[in-house]
Amino acid sequence: MSEPPGAAVSLAEAPLADTPSKPPAAQRVQPLRRPGRWIATAAVLVVVAQILHGLATNPFYQWDRFRYWFLRPAVLDGLLVTLEVAALSAVLGLLGGVLLALARQSGSPVLSAVSWTYTWLFRSVPLIVVLIFLYNFSALYKTLSLGIPFGPAFVTFDESKLATDMTVAVVGLSLNEAAYAAEVVRGGVLSVDQGQHEAAAALGLPRGYQFTRIVLPQALRSITPNYVNQLIGLVKSTSLVFYVSLLDLFGSVQTMGSTYPGDIVPLLLVATVWYLILTSAVSVVQFYVERYFARGATRTLPPTPLQKARAGLAALRARAGREAAV
Amino acid sequence: MPTQLSRRSLIRGITAATAVATLATGLAACGGDSDAATTTDTAGTVTVGRVSNGAARQTALKVSEVKSISAELPAAVRRSGTLKIVVGALPDGFPPLAYIGGDQKTLTGAEPDFGRLVAAVLGLKPQVSNATWENMFVGIDSGKADVGFANITDTEERKKKYDFASYRKDNVGFEVLKKSTWNFDGRYENLAGRTVAVDNGTNQEKILLEWQAKLKKEGKTLTVKHYASKNATYLALTGGRIDAYFAANPGVAYHVAQTAGSPDPTRSAGTFSGAGASLQGLIAATTKKDSGLAEPIADAVNHLIRSGQYARWLAAYHLSDEAVTTSQVNPPGLPLGNS
Amino acid sequence: MTADGTLETTPAALEVHDVHKWYGAHRVLDGIDLTVRPGEVTVVIGPSGSGKSTLLRVINHLEKPEAGHVSVGGELIGVRRGSGGRLRELSERALLAQRSRIGFVFQNFNLFPHLTVLDNVAAAPVATGRLARPEARERARELLTRVGLGDRTDAYPRQLSGGQQQRVAIARALALRPGIILFDEPTSALDPELVGEVLSVIKDLATSGTTLVIVTHEIAFAREVADRIVFIDGGRIVEQGPPREVLDTPRHARTRDFLAKVL
Repeated sequence: MSEPPGAAVSLAEAPLADTPSKPPAAQRVQPLRRPGRWIATAAVLVVVAQILHGLATNPFYQWDRFRYWFLRPAVLDGLLVTLEVAALSAVLGLLGGVLLALARQSGSPVLSAVSWTYTWLFRSVPLIVVLIFLYNFSALYKTLSLGIPFGPAFVTFDESKLATDMTVAVVGLSLNEAAYAAEVVRGGVLSVDQGQHEAAAALGLPRGYQFTRIVLPQALRSITPNYVNQLIGLVKSTSLVFYVSLLDLFGSVQTMGSTYPGDIVPLLLVATVWYLILTSAVSVVQFYVERYFARGATRTLPPTPLQKARAGLAALRARAGREAAV
Repeated sequence: MPTQLSRRSLIRGITAATAVATLATGLAACGGDSDAATTTDTAGTVTVGRVSNGAARQTALKVSEVKSISAELPAAVRRSGTLKIVVGALPDGFPPLAYIGGDQKTLTGAEPDFGRLVAAVLGLKPQVSNATWENMFVGIDSGKADVGFANITDTEERKKKYDFASYRKDNVGFEVLKKSTWNFDGRYENLAGRTVAVDNGTNQEKILLEWQAKLKKEGKTLTVKHYASKNATYLALTGGRIDAYFAANPGVAYHVAQTAGSPDPTRSAGTFSGAGASLQGLIAATTKKDSGLAEPIADAVNHLIRSGQYARWLAAYHLSDEAVTTSQVNPPGLPLGNS
Repeated sequence: MTADGTLETTPAALEVHDVHKWYGAHRVLDGIDLTVRPGEVTVVIGPSGSGKSTLLRVINHLEKPEAGHVSVGGELIGVRRGSGGRLRELSERALLAQRSRIGFVFQNFNLFPHLTVLDNVAAAPVATGRLARPEARERARELLTRVGLGDRTDAYPRQLSGGQQQRVAIARALALRPGIILFDEPTSALDPELVGEVLSVIKDLATSGTTLVIVTHEIAFAREVADRIVFIDGGRIVEQGPPREVLDTPRHARTRDFLAKVL
C-alpha cells in the first residue's frame, strides 16, 4: 500500500528525515487496519480446509463409488424425469398461477371465491395426497368426457390411456404449484404502484395490454425471486413422484440404494451434487432474468459476474501500477 | 418391508381431494413408461432369479396352465387374459424379495417371480407393476391391480378389506456391524440395554415389543427405533446410532453379502423364527375382498407346491427355510389391535 | 358566472352536471356544475381536501360519481342514455376508448418505469390502434422535442429529473391528440427549481389553444395562464371567474381566507 506521509501516519512510524515530502493536496486516506477481521478470516479458512479435506479423504463417502454412480444410466434417467417433471410443472404452474391471480382480483365474487378456495385447498392438502389420489383417479373414473355439463358427451377419453405416470406427476405438481404461484403472482401485481394502474387506465390502454405490457413486466421484478424460490422447492418436491410410480433423481438413488446397500452414502452424494448443479443453473438464470426486468427500475443495472471480474482486474492492475510507482 | 398403511386416513384424504379431480382433464399424454418387468420367457417356461444382483441362482421352471384351476377364475379376469400383479417396492426395494435388479432397471425378486409362476398356472399373462406400499393397496382397492405379491403379512385388520392366499412364512434375524461383538443367543434377556431398529407394523416388531415389555418388568431396558426407510435404517446402523436391525432374514442375508466390500460391512447376529411360539406370521397373495381371486390363486400355489416348482423357486432365492406345506385362503392372521 | 351565459352552437369541451361523490359519510363532491368552452384554460384552486383532484378523476371516470354526469365534447363519459333516458354504465372497452381522448397528467408523473421515454410516449397510440408503430415513434420523437427532451428518448424515466419526467408525461398525454387535457397538481411533486420548466410547457399548450383543466397551487401561474379560475371548497364551487376577479377581488370570505394563506 502506498502511504503518503502526513496526517494518516501514526506517531510510531514517523517519516524518516530523508523521505521526500510531497504537498498534502488531495491525499488518499489510509484505510483502517482490522486485525480481528484477518484472524477471523484465517480461522474460517482453516475450518473450510478441514471440511474439504475430510470430504476428500474420509472413506465413509466412498468417492470411487460416487464416480461409478454419477453418470450411470439409472441415475441419468432419474435426472431426466426430474427435469421433465419440474420444467413442465413450472410452466403449467405459473400459467395456472397467473389465471388464479387474475380470477382472485376480478370483480366477480364467484371467480374470486373459487380462486381463493383453490389456493386454500391445494396449500392445505399435502402434495403426497394429491399425487396418490390422482394416481388412482383413473381407476375410480374410467373415462373422461367433453360435452354439455350433466348432458350428452361429445368426446370420451379412456382415462387410463391419457393418464400416464408422467401426466399424473405433472398434473399433480402443477395443481400444487399453481396454488403457490397464484400468491406469488398476486403479491407481484400488488407490489406494482397503484399509479401505474391509473396511468394505464387514464391512457385508455386496452385491458389485456394493461396487464401484459404495463403491470406484469413490473410485477415480474418481484415475482422472479419469489418464483425461483418456488422453483427450487419444486425441483426437490419432484422427489415425491415415486408416489405415482415414477422414479426421479432421488427415487432412482433410493431404489439403487436398496439394491446396492453398500453404496447408500455415495448414492445420496450423487443426488446431492446433481441437485446442487440444478439449483446453481436456476440461480444463474435468475440473475439474468432479474437483471432484464430491472431495466428502468434502477438507474444503473447491476454488473454481470464477467463485468465484475473485469472491473476487479482493472482495479488490481491500477493498484499494482500505483504501488510500483511509489 | 411392510409398513402398516393407515388406510382410513388415506381414504379421507382422497375424499377431500375429490372436489378438484375434474381439473385433471385435458392434459395431453406425455412419454414415460411404467416399469413393468419385461420377460422373454417362451411359452411354458418361467425363469426366476433374473438379474438378481447375486441374490439368487437364475433357474428356468417349466409351468403350464392347469385348466381345472383357471376355470375357477372370475370371468372378467379370464377374459382379460392378464393377471395384474402389483409390488410395493417404491422407492426402496426390499431385496431379495422385490427390488430393481442388477441391470439397474428391471423389477425382480422372489415376490414378482412367484407372481409370474402363479399367473402361468392360471394361464394368464403376468403384468407386473411397481408402486409405493400405500399405492399398492389403493391399487388393489380400485381394481388397478388384481393381486399384490409383496411380502404382505396376513393380518386380521387387513382381512376386513382383502382376501389372502398364503404362500410363505418368514424368518427374522438381527443384523449388526461386522465389528460388533454382540450376538443373539435366542433368549430375549440377551437384548437388555441394546438399541434395536425394526420396521413399523411388521411381525418382528410385535415380537420385539413383547420382549421389550418383558425386560421392562425385570427392570431392564430395550430401546426400539423406527426409521422412515430401509436406507435410513442402514445409515443409522453404520453411524452407530443403533446396535442392531431386526428384520426379515432374507433381506438381512442379502444386505450382509452386499456390504461385504463397503467401508462398514455388516454381519448376521442370529435368527429367530418369525413363526415363533405365540405367533404364526404368514406371507400371502393379497386380493380385493370377494373378488373371487384368492381361491384360484391358493389352488395354483398348491399345484406349484405339489409339482415341486415351489421348492425350486424358494431354493433359487435361498429361502427354503420359509416353505409352507400348503396354501390357505384367509388363514388366521396376526390378531387385531397389534400395532 | 360568465361561462354559462352565451349560447353556443358547438358543444362545450367539458360539461360537469350536478356531480356528487362521497366516500362513506364523507361528501367529497357535493353538486358540482361546470362548463368549459373549447380552447378555454380553467384553473381549479382550493384548500387541500376540497375535492379538486377528485373532480378531475371523476371527469375521466377514474372515479365513478354517485350522482350526476360528465360529458366531454358533447359525449357522456362512462355512461350512455338507455331507453327512457336512464343512464346506464358503459362497457369497459368503450370507457377506455373515451379515456384515450382525454389527456391526464398526474402529480406523480406515473410514467412506466420499464419502458424508455420514447416507448412511454409511443405506447398508447399503438396499443389503442391509432397509429402504426413507426408513425407512433416518429410522433413521439416530435412531441419529446417539443417538450425539450428530444435528446433523452432512450433514457428510462428514473434516469430523469422530476421536471423532465413530468414533461415526458405531458408528451405522453399529447400523443393521443386529446381534445382536453387534465392536469392534477402537475408541479406539486417537484423541487422548486424544476417547477418552471414544467409550467412553461403547460403555458405553451395554453397559448396553442388546447382546452386545459389544471388543478394547482401555483397562484401566480394561474393568474398568468387561466381564462377562468374556479375556487372549490368543501366539495362545492364557491366562486369562479376571470383571474382578476377571483384572485384580486374575491367576493367570498372563504376565497379571501384561502388566498391570504397561499399568496
